[in-house]
Amino acid sequence: MIDVRIEQWRAWAPGLDNEDAWRAWAEAPHKLPDNGEQPNCDFLPAMQRRRLSRLARMTLEAAWPLCDEQEQLPLVFASRHGESPRTYALLSDLVAEEPLSPTQFGLSVHNAIAGQWSMLRGQRGESVAIAGEADTFEHAMLEAAMLLTEGAPAVIVVIAEERPAQAYEPWIHDVPFSYALALRLGGSAGRHWQLRLERNTGDTHAGDPSIGAWPHALDFLRALHTGSASLEHIWKTRRWIWQPLP
Amino acid sequence: MNDLSQHVSSPQKLQLEIAQLIIDTLNLEDIAAADIPADQPLFGAGLGLDSVDALELALALQKRYEIRIASDSKDARQHFSTIASLAAFVQAQRTACVA
Repeated sequence: MIDVRIEQWRAWAPGLDNEDAWRAWAEAPHKLPDNGEQPNCDFLPAMQRRRLSRLARMTLEAAWPLCDEQEQLPLVFASRHGESPRTYALLSDLVAEEPLSPTQFGLSVHNAIAGQWSMLRGQRGESVAIAGEADTFEHAMLEAAMLLTEGAPAVIVVIAEERPAQAYEPWIHDVPFSYALALRLGGSAGRHWQLRLERNTGDTHAGDPSIGAWPHALDFLRALHTGSASLEHIWKTRRWIWQPLP
Repeated sequence: MNDLSQHVSSPQKLQLEIAQLIIDTLNLEDIAAADIPADQPLFGAGLGLDSVDALELALALQKRYEIRIASDSKDARQHFSTIASLAAFVQAQRTACVA
């Protein structure tokens, strides 16, 4: 059982770039049209934006203000699918026997965005990039809780997913639209939640977002806005229980 | 751009073309081809490109102009120093390929 305190959070999705918009979405969640829009990230000079992918821009847009300029905080970057459009483009070049773009190839690793965060923000501390299954969000929060236990004053967690390349759509069901959620987890201040893991012995697909539920991170974001009671996120044998505490 | 390029001489036209190629290939925002002086250093303190940009640019030039750029060429650093030097290099390579 772990305790986390959410000091601040920010999120981005196509058309949802401020707190009021997210609150409205939380109260009446719906699938957003995703036409490849991306944040401008104009807090960065143009020369520093040139290698930022869409997922990187979403990540930075959401997380940027959560870390002060003077702070050194660990980062947990989590994404189940990573940058599948980039991977697909590189594979397409290989098939066409075209040379690969050095930039695209260099950035085609799961921790590339964590590295860009580190360079652009001058963060010299620890960063973790993880990919899990549909409960990647819970694993990211667990990772952050462990970093806090080890003594970090706060941890930035970003979970970011992008609509897949069309060729992968038949296999990716849990990204209704591209989104990034950034959370700042701290030691004592903020909204207090408890996370518990139990063994799921019932329907293994109960938590499959393809049958109607929202991705875990977005469901949690809804709860942050609506102040809902406990949440249950089930994936295969794992039953994650989120309980808000006073 | 097109109207302009019809009225300028060939070396300048090639320079503008290369400037645009740099902007498109390296995803530079808020800058136009005419904003990059032909004699401004591309790397370091000038435009601010780095070694990964150099690789990317070499690839784009080879594709666009069907030229070959030897990666171990001692002169590469010189060829890549400004838009003017790149244009001269591309022009020489094209002439060599045709000849």
